[in-house]
Amino acid sequence: MIFSGETQMKSALKLETGCNHDMDENREQKLALFYCERTPESSEQDKQSLEKKYGNSIHLFPIPCSGRIESLHLLRALEEFADAAYLITCPEGECRYFEGNLRAKKRVQKAQEIIKSIGLEGERIGIVMNEHTKSLARQAEEIMGSISHLCPSPVLHPHRS
Amino acid sequence: MSQLKKILDKGDLAVTAECGPPKGADPEAIFKKAELLRGKADAINVTDNQTATVRMSSLAACGLLISAGLDPVLQVVVRDRNRIALQSDILGASAMGIRNVLCLSGDHQSFGNQPQTMGVFDLDSIQFIQVVKTMRDEGTIWGGEPLTKSPELFIGAVANPFADPLGFRPVRLAKKIRAGADFIQTQCVYNLDRFEEWMNMARERGLTEQVNILAGVTPLKSSNMAKYMKKRVSGIDIPDELIKRMEETPKNRQRETGINICVETIQRLKEIQGIRGFHIMAIEWEEAVGEIVGRAGLLPRPSFDQD
Amino acid sequence: MITAEQKPIDEIREMIAPYKRILALGCGSCVAECAAGGEKETAMLASTLRMAAKIDGRDLLIHEKTVDRQCVKDFILPLDDIIDQYDAVLSLGCGAGVQAVAEIFPDVPIIPALNTEFIGETRDQGYWVENCVGCGDCVLYDFGGICPLTRCSKRLLNGPCGGSRDGKCEVDPEVPCAWQLIIERLSKFNALDRLEKIYQPKDWSMKQGLGPRNIIREDQQR
Repeated sequence: MIFSGETQMKSALKLETGCNHDMDENREQKLALFYCERTPESSEQDKQSLEKKYGNSIHLFPIPCSGRIESLHLLRALEEFADAAYLITCPEGECRYFEGNLRAKKRVQKAQEIIKSIGLEGERIGIVMNEHTKSLARQAEEIMGSISHLCPSPVLHPHRS
Repeated sequence: MSQLKKILDKGDLAVTAECGPPKGADPEAIFKKAELLRGKADAINVTDNQTATVRMSSLAACGLLISAGLDPVLQVVVRDRNRIALQSDILGASAMGIRNVLCLSGDHQSFGNQPQTMGVFDLDSIQFIQVVKTMRDEGTIWGGEPLTKSPELFIGAVANPFADPLGFRPVRLAKKIRAGADFIQTQCVYNLDRFEEWMNMARERGLTEQVNILAGVTPLKSSNMAKYMKKRVSGIDIPDELIKRMEETPKNRQRETGINICVETIQRLKEIQGIRGFHIMAIEWEEAVGEIVGRAGLLPRPSFDQD
Repeated sequence: MITAEQKPIDEIREMIAPYKRILALGCGSCVAECAAGGEKETAMLASTLRMAAKIDGRDLLIHEKTVDRQCVKDFILPLDDIIDQYDAVLSLGCGAGVQAVAEIFPDVPIIPALNTEFIGETRDQGYWVENCVGCGDCVLYDFGGICPLTRCSKRLLNGPCGGSRDGKCEVDPEVPCAWQLIIERLSKFNALDRLEKIYQPKDWSMKQGLGPRNIIREDQQR
């Protein structure tokens, strides 16, 4: 796993302050990952081996273009099963349909605003515009690293007082 | 009878000045300004909640000026009153001895200290001029119902030679005259070339013969005021040379320069055919009016006998 | 179309607080066009409110349904079959829709999720602008298709005033001076002389009515 310095700090903070839920700290985090089919090394085979590797921590959703993502999909993912929902798009300027990834960016922003308005961390939703054209596996790894500091979602595991 | 009308009818140059009512209920504020202006102007405009800021009503302040033996010009904006209230105020004004009224649109309510209010704008300024003229000359309210006594009022309107679109301004002036304006007070003049251009267009249409045009002037207090007005106030055109002149004057002499510029402007305006007088708007600087009028060779003003 | 925007989420949460079984009712017409209350927005709002309730540990059932047009009785009546399941309706219709539903189901509390704003056009994607005040006596012909009552901040019929700057209204430099637009438009048609006549005071009674205005057409009735 590759952690950035910032992520390390956040993880340390999480361990220190603890997550505000009376449940198992070690319960695995679930990521919903939507990705453009043109993401490098994202064939059906690659998808299956990732699912095998990470089990229930990752749910993969290939889409023909990131522009097909609606804010609603991200919200529903968080509502139903995910601690975080991310989207991988093609790099800026390289969308096969020209604007798909730009629209996706705006929809991700909208979804972030919405979850923040009800008290969830904006980082539970995110977008990666695959500038360095990393493989699906590599991106998945990095994204999981960057969200590891997040507590289990209070939507799925409400605080019982 | 209106002193302003008397002087203009005689063909002499008229002088009007402006008086802003206080943000409070103290009549002394009006009386103090009245004394500063007595003998320096023929008629005194009282603004109507200028910049959409709540002040003592123009109608009441004009009433106080009447009691002080002066000839007020009641400014009325259409922003705050519907046609019932406007006509009612016209009757009341005349009953109190007010003999001049200036009909304006008014600054939008969003500028002032009550931005949540509803702007009325039942009539616009040109329709309002028409209504006042109908009341005065036909003795009826709008719609034809007769009045028991017609108001006696000299009707004024505002013209802005510096507003967009420039080409349309003379059309608007013509409309105001046709609606019933007897006199016009213009927005303050700094750019004399542009003002002359507008006067030429007005003269070509024969408008200078149909209405009394009083050119507006405002003394600059400081270079900051000049820059602010140029940047922020719509319809004011201050040429860069004037700004430069103010900036190059040391701060403690800027008021003097401002007054000099004002006097020079009046002297130039006197040369323009069709100008029938001057409207001096010395905002919160009423003391300057006397000096300006004096140095411009416009004193003494003809005496005023109220009748 | 009629435009609206969603109320702040906190305000909506406060209004729905007493209820446990809510029908979120969208509308497929105007509010869908301005992306405030269509099927998609209704689903998003419902999901958001469900998540918020879960975070609070609160019991809350929200179902979504969108009707073609919430202000038409015939489109609302079919809800009769399902309305008993809910203790409140959260309407994403405009004010007309909210009240139409309330009229048909007077015993069901109805909560407006939107703030209805103006009659306007979609001038560009994601950009809606007011262009009609519903005065009841349209004068658009006289002004080259530009309504001075709506687009002039002072409703002048004999404009412009002296406040415009570079063709923009004094109240906001982003707002074009309607009179500048009217003059330009009429110049194009060589009809500028239309503005020489004094336009008479407006009959506002056609906008105000005696109580809420209505239209009755017997040829349209059953």
